[in-house]
Amino acid sequence: MNNNKLTVSHAPFWHDGDSLFKMNLNIMIATLPAIIFGIIQFGAPAVGVLALSLSSAMVWELILNVTSKKKITIGDLDSAVIGLVFGMMLPATSPWWLVITGTFVAVVIGKMIFGGIGANPFNPALVGMAFLMLSWKVFFDFDAAYVNYEFSFTALAPLAALKLQGVNAVTDFFPLGDLIMGKQVGAIGSTFGLGLIIGGIYLILRGYIRWEIPVSFIAGIIVTALCFSMANPDTYAGPMLHLFSGYTLLGAFSLATENSSSPANRIPMFIYGFSAAAMIILMRNIGIYADGTVLAILLLNLVNPLIDKIRPKALGKGVNNA
Amino acid sequence: MIKRSFFTLSQPRLNYDLVEPDPKELESIPIPPNLILLLNEPIDSTRQALIKKGDAVEKGEKLCLYNDSTEYTISPVTGTLTNLDIYLDDFGNTSTYLVIKNDQSQTTKTDSATYDLKDDIASADQYLRTLPGAPPLKILASDDIKINTIVITCADTDLLSTTNQYVTFKFLDEIKEGAKILKKITKVPKLCITIPEDLNIKERFDSIKVFKTALKYPSNLPAMVLKDHLSMILPAGKKPEDIGVCFISAEAVVSLAKAYKTKSADFEKILTVIGKKGTQYRVKATIGTPLHKIFKAFGIFVNDQDRIVIGGPMMGFSTYTHLHPVQPDMDTVMIQDRDIIPEVSDYPCVNCGKCLRICPANVPVNLLVRYLEADLYEEAADKYDIASCIECGLCAYVCTAKIPLFQYIRIGKHELLKLRAEV
Repeated sequence: MNNNKLTVSHAPFWHDGDSLFKMNLNIMIATLPAIIFGIIQFGAPAVGVLALSLSSAMVWELILNVTSKKKITIGDLDSAVIGLVFGMMLPATSPWWLVITGTFVAVVIGKMIFGGIGANPFNPALVGMAFLMLSWKVFFDFDAAYVNYEFSFTALAPLAALKLQGVNAVTDFFPLGDLIMGKQVGAIGSTFGLGLIIGGIYLILRGYIRWEIPVSFIAGIIVTALCFSMANPDTYAGPMLHLFSGYTLLGAFSLATENSSSPANRIPMFIYGFSAAAMIILMRNIGIYADGTVLAILLLNLVNPLIDKIRPKALGKGVNNA
Repeated sequence: MIKRSFFTLSQPRLNYDLVEPDPKELESIPIPPNLILLLNEPIDSTRQALIKKGDAVEKGEKLCLYNDSTEYTISPVTGTLTNLDIYLDDFGNTSTYLVIKNDQSQTTKTDSATYDLKDDIASADQYLRTLPGAPPLKILASDDIKINTIVITCADTDLLSTTNQYVTFKFLDEIKEGAKILKKITKVPKLCITIPEDLNIKERFDSIKVFKTALKYPSNLPAMVLKDHLSMILPAGKKPEDIGVCFISAEAVVSLAKAYKTKSADFEKILTVIGKKGTQYRVKATIGTPLHKIFKAFGIFVNDQDRIVIGGPMMGFSTYTHLHPVQPDMDTVMIQDRDIIPEVSDYPCVNCGKCLRICPANVPVNLLVRYLEADLYEEAADKYDIASCIECGLCAYVCTAKIPLFQYIRIGKHELLKLRAEV
């Protein structure tokens, strides 16, 4: 009689075959339309920034893995996603040290020191971004960044123009069609609205992001901006300009949906998405920042644990008919 | 294995298998030379046991360890008791296994011992607990538990299993007969029966309420049947019998009917066997038959690092030996090739929320697992509803990080019981 050594483990004995690698790979695939467009628009420097951003983010995690004598975890592509999304938020002319510093803050301070994947309270890419924006504000002036470029459209960053020149000037410069098709100046991956929406819908259909967050986020932008615009159309721009400019769509599909820093229950997801969007419009219309996406989502990341407490009652909890 | 579909906007659909419209006759496994019986009572080395090595046993003889034992098993063959020793299950609970050498000529010649079965539950509980299907007679006979509803489950609880559906298909008359006997001996007023809604059974049951259960897993789990059909919410941490409902499998009802007819016990257990490629076989084997005999009969080779799963892919358990015997409550045996065994990981939760959206009991698994990983069981129970878990295994099935969530929850519940017992 043979006596085999059998595998003994616990239920369930099936798995749906999903993995973190697949999830992150799909998130990266979903960014491709916007990225390819950005590369066509901004040329080789954009490739350089994206490549450096992605690779340096992974290298930072590798260094942390090795120095802290932990298992090497870059294979799950989590820091690759952080690096890629981070790169998408940068202007194509960013110097190399800016990128590397940013990914250092994003991966090391934003993610690894909190305990790595799943433990970050804030979206790491946004932590890095906020750090850079506060420290080297000058590099995020998109008008100055692309001063040596020649575009076939108005070479102005819509939100900065809105802040400086007022709503009347802006509505003439930026027809909605141009904004959607990416004919605007901005970060590498944030200008092509249509591409971002296609990528977002792909992720929603594949189940890798939760539809509630982008939908409520976009609803929040439209509703809040519409309220402002209706109250005073001479001072505040309409919802479509806000939706298709700056980091708004990137925020809706890639930034606000980051797993670890966003809620997982349905009602909290709606609250989270809507309030983040409302905060963005408040910052843009009343605050001093031209684009408040980064800080608004970080703020809602902070509130996330609190609102995620709103959850359905578990089966049989508090039932005393025994 | 059912994989995630390409588009997963909605939740994955795991559907129960249905028995084919015209099921084949059962494959019968001959009684093996050595049978193994499990007795749910540990050996106490300080006491003299009633049974010992070398004892002769008869077909249908009741075997128990001590005079005051409440647990017993019934020998399915005539032969000799060649060994008895400690059996450890996957949670370290001890019981006893008995090896019985089958005396072929005697077994075939003699009829099973007859029992003095009266029309009361106590006499049934005396002899019939180990009938195929494991009727929950202990619960029904208990004085402390008041049962007012019995649910006969023709719908199998776990995926892939079709044993009880097959029984329903083939032995409808016996089920009706058994239900009558159940009603007579237990005096329980309300009898219900669960049948998968797509199963083509048009029969009428007199005075039995029929519940058509949905095809989607986990709608056949006791807690779900209570919720969907009896409009009762199972209180967290309670069992169905605590709120007066007892579940009994269709096969157990059929065995009861046969036992009352012949005044003796039947030992042929019906099993769904699932081979490595997912092929289903249905087989009849004597309780106590080692599993490798069944695999051999279908030409299934068990190799190193394969996994033998008892009781279905979502809620079952795996065994470390192919000598594991057929048990009265074992409806499904599945063998997985080592190449398709999914890995688990030691990754932390990434909070993707798939578990909590699929959980039929609304347990916040994403938060719960953080407490369980840190051994904070009391918090897990107080704040994060570990007791509400109905143990369907769906959370671990969908987990992107491949965390063994279900195992964490089971350990958590186990540790909590231990903690509370100490207090």
